[in-house]
Amino acid sequence: MTSTATGWRLGIRHVTEVAYTGSARSSFNEVRMAPLTLPTQTALESRVEISPPAHAWTYWDYWGTQVVAVDIPEPHERLRLTARATVETSPAPPLPAAPSWEVLRDTAARGPESEYSAATELTRVDEAVAAEARRLAGGLGPHEAAAAIAAWVHGQVAYVPGSTGVGTGAQQAYDQREGVCQDIAQLTVAMLRSAGLPARYVSGYFHPVPEAEPGETVAGQSHAWVEYRAGAWVALDPTNMVEVGVRHVVVGRGRDYADVPPFKGVYQGPPGEPPRVVVELTRLA
Amino acid sequence: MADIFDAYRPARAWDEMFAAPGVPRTPYLAVFAALQRLGANDLRYRADQVARLFTDRGVTFAFAGDEQPFPLDQIPRVLAAQEWDEVTRGVAQRIRALEAFLADVYGRGRVLEDGVVPRALVLSSPHFHRAAAGIEPPGGVRVHVGGIDLVRDEEGRFRVLEDNVRIPSGVSYVIENRRAGTRLFPGIFAEHRVRAVDAYPARLLASLRATAPEGVADPTAVVLTPGRYNAAYFEHTLLARLMGIPLVEGRDLECHRNHVYMRTTRGRRPVHVIYRRVDDDFLDPLHFRGDSLLGTPGLLNAARAGNVTLANAVGNGVADDKLLYTYVPDLIRYYLAEEPALDNVETYRLDSPDRVAWVLEHAHELVLKPVDGSGGKGIVIGPHAEEAELAVLRAAVAADPRGWIAQRPVALSTAPTLIGDRLEPRHVDLRPFAINDGTDIWLLPGGLTRVALPEGQLVVNSSQGGGSKDTWVLADGSRDGTGARKLVAVAAMPQSRDQQPSPFGDESAAGAAQQMQQ
Amino acid sequence: MRDDAWDGYGYGHGGRPSDIPLPARPEPGAGSEPPGARRPDAPPSLLSRVAESLFWMGRYVERADDTARLLDAFVHRMVEDPWTDEPAACRSLLGVLGLSDAPPGPTAPFGPPLDTQATIRRIAFDEDSPSSITGALLLARENARGVREVVSSEIWECLNVTRHGLAASRRSAEQLGPAAFLTHVRERAALFSGLADATLSRDEGWRFLVLGRSLERADMTARLLSVFLTGDGPMPDRTTLLRAAGAEESFLRTYGGAAGTDRAVEFLLLDRLFPRSVLHALSTAEECLLALGPAAAERTGVADEARRPVGRLRTRLEYADVSAFARELPTLLGDLGAACAQATDAVARRFFPDAPLARWEGR
Repeated sequence: MTSTATGWRLGIRHVTEVAYTGSARSSFNEVRMAPLTLPTQTALESRVEISPPAHAWTYWDYWGTQVVAVDIPEPHERLRLTARATVETSPAPPLPAAPSWEVLRDTAARGPESEYSAATELTRVDEAVAAEARRLAGGLGPHEAAAAIAAWVHGQVAYVPGSTGVGTGAQQAYDQREGVCQDIAQLTVAMLRSAGLPARYVSGYFHPVPEAEPGETVAGQSHAWVEYRAGAWVALDPTNMVEVGVRHVVVGRGRDYADVPPFKGVYQGPPGEPPRVVVELTRLA
Repeated sequence: MADIFDAYRPARAWDEMFAAPGVPRTPYLAVFAALQRLGANDLRYRADQVARLFTDRGVTFAFAGDEQPFPLDQIPRVLAAQEWDEVTRGVAQRIRALEAFLADVYGRGRVLEDGVVPRALVLSSPHFHRAAAGIEPPGGVRVHVGGIDLVRDEEGRFRVLEDNVRIPSGVSYVIENRRAGTRLFPGIFAEHRVRAVDAYPARLLASLRATAPEGVADPTAVVLTPGRYNAAYFEHTLLARLMGIPLVEGRDLECHRNHVYMRTTRGRRPVHVIYRRVDDDFLDPLHFRGDSLLGTPGLLNAARAGNVTLANAVGNGVADDKLLYTYVPDLIRYYLAEEPALDNVETYRLDSPDRVAWVLEHAHELVLKPVDGSGGKGIVIGPHAEEAELAVLRAAVAADPRGWIAQRPVALSTAPTLIGDRLEPRHVDLRPFAINDGTDIWLLPGGLTRVALPEGQLVVNSSQGGGSKDTWVLADGSRDGTGARKLVAVAAMPQSRDQQPSPFGDESAAGAAQQMQQ
Repeated sequence: MRDDAWDGYGYGHGGRPSDIPLPARPEPGAGSEPPGARRPDAPPSLLSRVAESLFWMGRYVERADDTARLLDAFVHRMVEDPWTDEPAACRSLLGVLGLSDAPPGPTAPFGPPLDTQATIRRIAFDEDSPSSITGALLLARENARGVREVVSSEIWECLNVTRHGLAASRRSAEQLGPAAFLTHVRERAALFSGLADATLSRDEGWRFLVLGRSLERADMTARLLSVFLTGDGPMPDRTTLLRAAGAEESFLRTYGGAAGTDRAVEFLLLDRLFPRSVLHALSTAEECLLALGPAAAERTGVADEARRPVGRLRTRLEYADVSAFARELPTLLGDLGAACAQATDAVARRFFPDAPLARWEGR
């Protein structure tokens, strides 16, 4: 146990607003913003409000993420989504005993984890990057190797908002040495896999203030980090290089961003401006 | 007497018609007798007639940007009743196993846990659509229509060449070939007990209605086409017309609150079953290709909510991956506890470095197929390939072993085919069509026999210069094909017809009556 | 012919400005039926896209037919009257048919002289213009191809065979002159009409086909009269005019050989029995719209948008003061064309609304 602190209760308000230059209609969307209930996290409440008022329908997808599907047939000039949730988080669990690399490689190849072992379009890296991952892992145990890779990515790729888009892949982020949490997480995932560790991309929220006072609301954002499999799934935050614990809220986990996008959709109409997003986090207890 | 078969020399393969030169197999006796009376000129003339008929009727496929009549060879392919029983058993068994497999991989994944099929095979298939996981299709049917491609090997045994459970096409040619055939050989059809093919549309519609969402009393089914530029557009229109249901394009449909509607001149009308001929990737821009205009956003979630049936289901491509094909016999044993009724062609997986090395070394003796290819694309027949082509192939295979399988070359059976004004042996395959309505799997008697028109060519496909043959399944009790059918005399009609009173006498009235019959 | 299959509107929109439908607009009345409700007494539904194709199929076949008659009569006139100002007559004809501004040159002082042969080629064989005979037939066939499962196989085959025969017809026309080609076109159009009559149910789809045909017919007759009556040349003889409208024999049977051009104009505009007269065409269009219209409770609603211009014109013709015709004719013909265009727009808005745009925007 790295911390004696007990868990947090967090309130999340995530507002996404899209303004169209004209009128949009036949809008079909999927929202993945609801915190999961996990051994380390309990979702107490979550809901999505939509304006204009629209039909919303919930299902759980292949990755276990809760999806709210929204369709708006009528013409509208703006779309506003407000996702609210209350969730209890807990400190990071102790590291599990790591199996040997041989066992890891075997489960990576055959077990359910094999889903998280192959490169995807967004996590494909060239041989040089893969070799770097293997070099970093050389001679280390799985946990130490993962930590070394995360630290290396953190050192290589500068956090520069706006430097990439949702379709930017891990290789490109590495080549330009800039990105946001999504890029840093995807590059880390790619290199963990290259080193022989099944790894997945985590989408969620992060509270930026370590010792936040209950009742205080702070601006936050959607966040992304990684988990790798070594005995159990272990989380790392290569963007912030902090322990993944009470301040992290898990929404979805997949092979890369494309499996767990917070908001996606299609509509008929003029191209929209980039959505305006506001995330507010409140430590409730 | 010299006849058109005199010069026919079977190739080194199983010949469908002749056991030996001049000695027809039993099911062909009547065809042989009838065709013997014809000269090569007659055949040529009839072939031109058919081509013209097909062009006029629009029985065409898109080839090199133009509409070509689908070449129909007029010598039918004939299957005896017991041969067809064997095919029926084998195909139905295969469909049942593939249905079970699809339900499993989009559900619990038992077959993966038990290691019968490697997990990586499924996970790495481009057609394993995770977005389809958890969708439970009404009636448990995902393969409403299946097309299982069969070939006959050198010993005359049917073997499965590949499975098609996404959007198998070609059934319109079966229907049109038969229409043309009955016009070309009215006499033979009168004498034979050839099983009819015209029940197909009714069977398909019954299956679509039987698998409609629960609680819909009078379901509306539609055919969804990518549109008139699709190579199989003719088929889409034919099926819609024969089933009497609307043919829609993606832009005709809209989803609302997880229900699907079509836009009509009187507003929206609900749609419950979609026989879709649009590929998965283009079906729903919300889940698949966002740039697709062929589909309708929201379809997949409407299916997930149980409000619409997609036929065939989304994600079936994971079952007709050619690498999975190599596991189908295992799947039959695993799910059905039966032995496969039809064997595969001998196939090698490239699943170990040793095997890959062996295949690379023997590429010139093998057939190599891309696991994801359709329409014969990318297949390399080793014994027929130039060294340069083999070099390219070896590099491609070495770079992506998961992308290929290797097969022993099978000298597909041949059938006499009119080439110019001679009959020559040409390789054929057979695609039977199976319809699953959730309780029963029904096979269209015969299916599509495709002919590779270039001499010696082993890839049989319309997009590769192929033609087809009308395929006859003889009904039980006419094993020798000579059983004359009793014709019921048509009730005598009154001799005189109603006619317009003519001031000019009978001659002119007769002329008028003739005109009306044109 | 265009190759992009997914232009959102499909085929069917002729090149004349009046034929281009307004962009689909959302309309309060359309598509607001509660989901899930299928009234047991509801008529079989017709897809909006299909209705649109049938409408345009009717228009294009009629256009090919009428254009063939018109061209035939024009060619006769050129042959019979060598003193006509040929370039001016050709220009006038092309203009009325909406073919004036395609290739450069003919009207420019230094361009190639606009002769009858070139005019025939443009009007008969220009594959890219929806106003030429060949272009209209190609588009009629493309529309039929998109709705092949709802028209009878005979109708599809008729248009398909016509299309496949176009190249040969053109070759023979180049050797033997256009007469045989024009006759052939009229025969194919007659076959189409006959097959439509004989093989189609008198349902909604049929009404869209007839509506398109009737509006096109009224429009083409107006254009025809414009060519012969409002051009610079002398008043044509009665025979040319009637022949161009396919009305010669009916007229003679009705009025005998002594009646003059004025009477012929009146016949083409006002006759209640002759099916190619403007009045007859407008009445037919009105009947179709009435049958397609909404239930009684909605009578003051949107359906009137299409029927109003047609009905107004029809009434104006029915109660027209024949003696004042000569003076009013140019205005009347202009109003006729405008009414057909308005009706077309309104039909599109009411029955083919909300066609998806050309692409889906992602986010």
